[in-house]
Amino acid sequence: MHAPTVTRRWLGLCVVVFAAALAGACGGTPGAEQSSVKTEGAVKKSGFDKLGPVTLTIWSYDNQDPGLEPVLKELSANFTKKYPNVKINMVFKDFNSLVNVVPRALASDQGPDITEGNQGYQTDAQLVKARLILPLDPYIKAYGWDDWYTDSTWSIFRWTADGKTFGQGPKWGVAQTGQNVAVFANADKLRSLGFDPENMPTTFDDFQAMLADIRSKLPKDEPVIQFGNNEGYGTIHMYGGIQAAYVDPQSARDWIQHVPGSSYDTPENIQALTAYQKWAQDGYFNSDYNAKKYDQAAADFAKGQGVFWIGGDWDSSIIKSGLGDKAMVMNVPPGDSGTWASIGATSGPWHISAKTKYPDLCAAWLDYIIAAPEAQQLMYSQQQIPSINGAEQPSGDPFLGQVTAAWQQVSQDDGLMLYTDWASPTMYNTLASNFQQLLAGKETPEEMAKAVQADWEKFDKTLG
Amino acid sequence: MTEAPAQVAVPEKAELQVERARRASQRAPGEPRNVAWLYILPGLAFYVLFTLAPLAHAVELSFYDWDGLTVGRYVGLANYREAFSDPLVRDSFKHSAELIVFYAAIPVILGLLLTALLTRHPVRGFTFFRTALFLPQMLAGVVVAQAWVWIYASNGPLNELLRTVGLGSLARPWLGDFSWALPAIGGVGTWVTYGLCMVLFIAGAQNIPSSLYDAARVDGAGAMREFFAVTLPGLRNEIVVAFVLTTINALRSFDLIYNTNQGGPGTSTYVPSLYMYQNAFVYNRVGYAAAIAVILAAAIFALAFLVLYLSGRGEER
Repeated sequence: MHAPTVTRRWLGLCVVVFAAALAGACGGTPGAEQSSVKTEGAVKKSGFDKLGPVTLTIWSYDNQDPGLEPVLKELSANFTKKYPNVKINMVFKDFNSLVNVVPRALASDQGPDITEGNQGYQTDAQLVKARLILPLDPYIKAYGWDDWYTDSTWSIFRWTADGKTFGQGPKWGVAQTGQNVAVFANADKLRSLGFDPENMPTTFDDFQAMLADIRSKLPKDEPVIQFGNNEGYGTIHMYGGIQAAYVDPQSARDWIQHVPGSSYDTPENIQALTAYQKWAQDGYFNSDYNAKKYDQAAADFAKGQGVFWIGGDWDSSIIKSGLGDKAMVMNVPPGDSGTWASIGATSGPWHISAKTKYPDLCAAWLDYIIAAPEAQQLMYSQQQIPSINGAEQPSGDPFLGQVTAAWQQVSQDDGLMLYTDWASPTMYNTLASNFQQLLAGKETPEEMAKAVQADWEKFDKTLG
Repeated sequence: MTEAPAQVAVPEKAELQVERARRASQRAPGEPRNVAWLYILPGLAFYVLFTLAPLAHAVELSFYDWDGLTVGRYVGLANYREAFSDPLVRDSFKHSAELIVFYAAIPVILGLLLTALLTRHPVRGFTFFRTALFLPQMLAGVVVAQAWVWIYASNGPLNELLRTVGLGSLARPWLGDFSWALPAIGGVGTWVTYGLCMVLFIAGAQNIPSSLYDAARVDGAGAMREFFAVTLPGLRNEIVVAFVLTTINALRSFDLIYNTNQGGPGTSTYVPSLYMYQNAFVYNRVGYAAAIAVILAAAIFALAFLVLYLSGRGEER
């Protein structure tokens, strides 16, 4: 029999081929060749019409039903009217698809010139550390962007060049709109249940009493709060207002920015988690919240399902198109501190790629889409709130007035708690899965606080 | 080279020369010659370039702590040590094992059942049924996921059906339920793969000599007896192939879960490929993701070999 010989031969062949493949594949230490940030000359603010044909590729995830998408398209069209030699290629992706791909896209030679990132350790820290984006400080100086934001808002764009310290160092991004997670209410439903929409609770205790009261009056299969948490961020947003009732916003921000000594595992936070778990146990939510998407919940609320929807004001236009003048907005009322606070920040940070050939042109585009008066009017027309200080007020739209007022209430009270998931690369999934277990009663508030803090500490160690 | 009796000068001695050359190479007639390498070279080159090289690269990466962008750091076996003590890795593999039941075991049984039904008697519209039942296999995973998200929704068709037939107490948001999310996804897997099994088995059944069936009938075998005595043994090879393919599908399943639940609720639908994806592209831990990928590949190899070994051993008896 020669079968064994053949087998041995094939085995030998496999070993040889595998070794060859290994040799071919091993290009030494991964990531060894690095691109370096080019040194900057003086910032040019005009004269782009003399550049010859230019295509700027821009990536954004602001396309939620429809969110900023029409605004960005129209502004880009205006911009190219000013500079006919410039073509703008706007690419919209959903949030996860964008942030999970953008580091590698920027590292390639075909990446976007301008892109949204995401504040926090998962995305922006990586982009800074790998030198994939440019610090904007020269442009901030040249254009006078300094007074766009307060210092505490600027801190969400600041990183030391090693990507380790959040809130200090150069500024790497600017953002278009303010984001505030607020309570949207259906005024008709409130009235029919015997509540006065003009006279809403102003303390967290009264708000909770109202929720309980509504639960007892509503039919069992109708939720008090419409909730969509399939993606896992619905719960992170929902919890913000509850956390703010017990936890000082500054300490929540410090925790996100890894200020030494910060902790999630505190008695105040455990109180807040306990309150949140009780909302679920008392049946305030629709039972399919883990299967329903965030925007779907907003749409269902806009169709008249549920008395409240707690979510981002960027979905205001969905709500308004469904509920019309029955729609109203407020922040989750404050706890004992009396400080109005909520989860929120600005929209995603715009970054300029370190590989773009036209950084000055990119900066001019950013200046235009954020600060131009027509830009602000367009944002209002999509129920979006311009983030920068001194933006014009909307007029003749009471609902939009409320959305704007809610944003200003928390930003003026220094109550923007930022997004909790910025605290580590794994925090988004850690929070999402622990919240789901907490709400399902599979985990105690104490266990959840410990698990989340453990994630934070594991990452904190890597920051040295 | 040995097979080069080229400078043979005298024609009448050529035969002798050839004979001598053959003896010199000590090769029996029909034994592989070195020139065979040339024939397999194009295919081999592709295989090395697109299959083995990436695999080897993944193995290499698994020894590094690398964020995918900046310079990596060699850490030896640290990623593997972490993976073997990571409860989420353990849970992911447990979920995969559960999915094998839905992706492999149930479809094979269903496929056999359908084969028995469709082949025993001529069925009108046979081609139509075969095509219709095979269709799920040809749909893109994303499409399948979207369709089933709708079917499983709390007021989707499945729950409406349950309510209509008076089983409203069983209605639930299937994909949002901690204990039902994984079986629900498994159900989709069954729907996708049983058509493949069926087509394999029907093709196999057509190769079973009809004389065997005639013999069975003459011996007085009923439908059941006929199935177990003739069809099932006759399909042995197809069953093995179906098992291997579907088991590999189960272990690699990603698109369905990514497009429905992303591992949730909690961690109840995490599978290795999803966790690997998250580590590589969300957590920026490419090295750790590569380690999970290598473990997953090893598990797939091991299972495939196990199935082949078990079936091969049975054959020798």
